[in-house]
Amino acid sequence: MHLLQRLSSALLFLLPFAVLLTLWAVLVPYFNINPRLFPTLGSVIEAGIESVRDGSLPAHIGASLMRVLVGTVLALFVAIPLGVLMGVSQVTSTFLTPLFRSFSVLAGIAWIPIASLWFGYGFGAITFIIFNAVFFIVTYNTLLGVSTIPREVRNAAASLGAGRVAMLTEVLLPGALPNIVTGIRTGLGFAWRGLIAAEMIATNVGLGYMLFVARDFYRTEVIVLGMIVIGVLWLLLDRLVLAPLERATVERWGMVQRA
Amino acid sequence: MTPFLKLWSRYVRLTARWPSIASFVPFIPVIALWWLVTALEVFPRAFLPGPAEVWSAFKSLTYKGVLPDYLQDSMVRLAVGALWGIALGIPLGLLIGMSKRAHTALWPVLLFFQAIGDIAWLPILVIWFGYGLVTMTVVIVYTVIFPVVLNTVLGVRSIHVNMHRAALSLGASRLRVLWEVVLPGALPNIVTGLRNGLGYGWRALIAAEIIVGTSGIGFMMFDARRAGSVVEILLGMIILGILWYIVDSWILAPIERATGQRWGLVSR
Repeated sequence: MHLLQRLSSALLFLLPFAVLLTLWAVLVPYFNINPRLFPTLGSVIEAGIESVRDGSLPAHIGASLMRVLVGTVLALFVAIPLGVLMGVSQVTSTFLTPLFRSFSVLAGIAWIPIASLWFGYGFGAITFIIFNAVFFIVTYNTLLGVSTIPREVRNAAASLGAGRVAMLTEVLLPGALPNIVTGIRTGLGFAWRGLIAAEMIATNVGLGYMLFVARDFYRTEVIVLGMIVIGVLWLLLDRLVLAPLERATVERWGMVQRA
Repeated sequence: MTPFLKLWSRYVRLTARWPSIASFVPFIPVIALWWLVTALEVFPRAFLPGPAEVWSAFKSLTYKGVLPDYLQDSMVRLAVGALWGIALGIPLGLLIGMSKRAHTALWPVLLFFQAIGDIAWLPILVIWFGYGLVTMTVVIVYTVIFPVVLNTVLGVRSIHVNMHRAALSLGASRLRVLWEVVLPGALPNIVTGLRNGLGYGWRALIAAEIIVGTSGIGFMMFDARRAGSVVEILLGMIILGILWYIVDSWILAPIERATGQRWGLVSR
């Protein structure tokens, strides 16, 4: 029964895509759309098979994922402790919030020109962009999460005799977790975006590069293939890593009802 | 410690009277540090120019009229894109948040298209619409809409079901529930979404200007990168930061104050 339920929910998730694909397969040939403007389903599948066979697609995917992984892990290790630390004290949180707010807006794409000057075109610049995108938004969200915990809750815990460690693990972290997870989710979403932008500009391998080169030759089937790959990769990341994480935190703390 | 505390209490009193001071005082140590690092030549000048050089670049570019023109181009693009994004995003979010059927049908597609990301659309948008306002607007709308929709859905779903029941059992119509329960309840989240969305719409604009642009702040920065002139890149970044501050504190923060604090979600 449990398996059946999961299967049916997976089917329900895939159903909208089946509708979209059918529309694509029917409408593009029907209206006879120029393949230079929008490719047919068949040509995209062909391009996919061909690029897997010659090994270029796996190489692009591998390069992109490696950059995201390194940048994100580095950023999280720094951002969460920093955010909690700054959020605990009223003084530092009021003083630093404006700074982090403006830096989290600047983070990512605005750094591409200067990152590519400092680190040269390649792995360093792109990892820096991803680190940047994740770091500032996660720190800002952690800060926000910790400082929006109602004062009464903190006072209650303190008057019940909670020490610093208990306060951290039982009030501050759980209270801020929904915000932290939201921060990670948005941060990663935009890091992924920043990755694509950076790869269009500053490298010679990766999914963004693949899209950008295809545009030069009007190969829309490669562009659409690349877009689908980017979408599917992110969805997998979101469904297999981030959504369970959110379930384990946000929903556990009763902030979202399960659909 | 006491002199520090005294200073801090004076600062708190000052910022309580003029709240806008709190948003730029924190930058003073940052700028001082920047000045110090460049004065000591920790990094080569060509890699990290000082505040004075950036200021003189600002003056000369403003005098030539390049900067005001680019600024105007960027702002118009952002405004047009953001308005469309909000107008489409909030109703869509309410629909998905409230209707289970709409959630089943649209949520996966929404996640997928969010996953593709605005910037991945740039190559094909350029083929479709060429280099121009349409491409930029589509990219910005695309960026703004997802945070708005996702946060609206989160806000709608975080309203306790008893609120719905209470309103319904008191005889409220569906429209009235939407207007007096769902919308106010979701408003803080919607504003958060807006704030995120605009921040990232801004970022998408920069990316679009870098990649397909012929004018705008992003274009200026990338043009400077080609010429290897760090001064103008830094100037561009600072202008982006200041502009965001203006948009955020003159437009978004008042909205947030009117919602989040009113509903008692942020303790001041």
